[in-house]
Amino acid sequence: MNEIFTNLYNKVLGFFRQTEKEETSAKDVACNRLRVVLMQDRTNLTPELMERMRKELVELLSKYLEMDKEALELNLEQDGDQVALMLSIPVIRAKDEEEIQKALEESEQKQENSSEEAQENSEENECSETNGENEEAEKEDSQATNDDKPDTEAPETDEQNNSETTDEDAKSKKTKS
Amino acid sequence: MLTYPQKILDNLNKINYTTNIKGETMSGRVIVITSGKGGVGKTTTNANIGTALARAGKKVVMIDTDLGLRNLDLLLGLENRIVYTIVDVVEERCKLKQALVKDKKNPNLCLLAAAQTRDKSAVTEEQLKDICDTLKKDFDFILVDCPAGIEQGFQNAVAGASEAIVVTTPEMSAVRDADRIIGLLEAKEEIKSYKLLLNRVRPNLVKSNDMMSVEDVVEILSADLIGIIPEDTGIITSTNKGEPIVNDEKSLAGKAYRNVARRIIGEDVPFLNLEEDTSVMGKVKKFFSGLMGKEK
Repeated sequence: MNEIFTNLYNKVLGFFRQTEKEETSAKDVACNRLRVVLMQDRTNLTPELMERMRKELVELLSKYLEMDKEALELNLEQDGDQVALMLSIPVIRAKDEEEIQKALEESEQKQENSSEEAQENSEENECSETNGENEEAEKEDSQATNDDKPDTEAPETDEQNNSETTDEDAKSKKTKS
Repeated sequence: MLTYPQKILDNLNKINYTTNIKGETMSGRVIVITSGKGGVGKTTTNANIGTALARAGKKVVMIDTDLGLRNLDLLLGLENRIVYTIVDVVEERCKLKQALVKDKKNPNLCLLAAAQTRDKSAVTEEQLKDICDTLKKDFDFILVDCPAGIEQGFQNAVAGASEAIVVTTPEMSAVRDADRIIGLLEAKEEIKSYKLLLNRVRPNLVKSNDMMSVEDVVEILSADLIGIIPEDTGIITSTNKGEPIVNDEKSLAGKAYRNVARRIIGEDVPFLNLEEDTSVMGKVKKFFSGLMGKEK
């Protein structure tokens, strides 16, 4: 009995959802398409660059979150005179510490394997993000692989432990360059 | 008979030219009407705003800068009266005053026609600026009809202007091009202000959510609005007759254009309610939406 009702409920709900989707009016489609296209016109960010940015963000965020990669939306939107980068990600679940650790190590190995110079740049970006988002994992991580990471000087690291490593890192960066 | 020295005579002449009745120095406003995209109604807008301003008692001259593709003369029904064009003025085959064609009905309205046989390079930015500066002394309004596109023709048309009206329709391509034009206008120091004129709005389609509304376009372009012109089949007949629709008292589009002219002069005129809902419910709705509109 219960099953029948839930089934019916879902069907009715599904029907309304479908009609809702269908009713996205021509006007709204036009407005949305225009907003996207005007953003590209105004910022000179080509679709290719946006796609690349999207991919890099997916790569970065999937270290910490299990998410629907295909549904990740990245758009530039305008609010009055200001332009905002809107990122919408359907999160399935947050990863636990071990998984994050593993993902971080994997990404580092990847970087070690590939060529140095180009990789260092992208790593710089990724790691400065890393700092803010997950400090614990970062701490252990940066201590473990100090030499490889000349870039933990993100402003978010205000814990003592971390600031020490930052200094060391800064030094190592200097010596490298 | 008293004879004045030549110098004084010259000065007197100058005063006559450069002052209006009140004795203030007369300096006309140069407004370029542009759109980027073709076919959105630049020339129609030009003819109608020009005629409406002249009807309001202003001295108006319209300059067609669409060299090689002139049409403003047709819309005004002046195609048979053109002797000299802007290229003749620039190449000094005639004086500027000789090239100005007076409107059939309104002596306040003049047209400086484009040459049909030449291309955009026949007139330079400086030359157009000079013409505008000269005309400023004798007219209240100089309306420059800009060709479509963002190439030299656009640059020429904008050169002498200090204000701009960007004509667009509620279609994606027209709005996109208008955005590009606005970007270019903002980069020009001489353009002090620009306003948006939304042409060919179809209230029925807006109502059924099939067409972008005025609010949508204004929000997307974030520009000030100076007019909303409804789609009107009367435009076709008026073009065929060579008679701007502002002269038709009954036409809604004509009224909308007359309102634009009043706003240009500086009057505060509310925008027309384009929804023609004559049912009882419609009137009630209209009443309430009117109340809501006032709060904005």
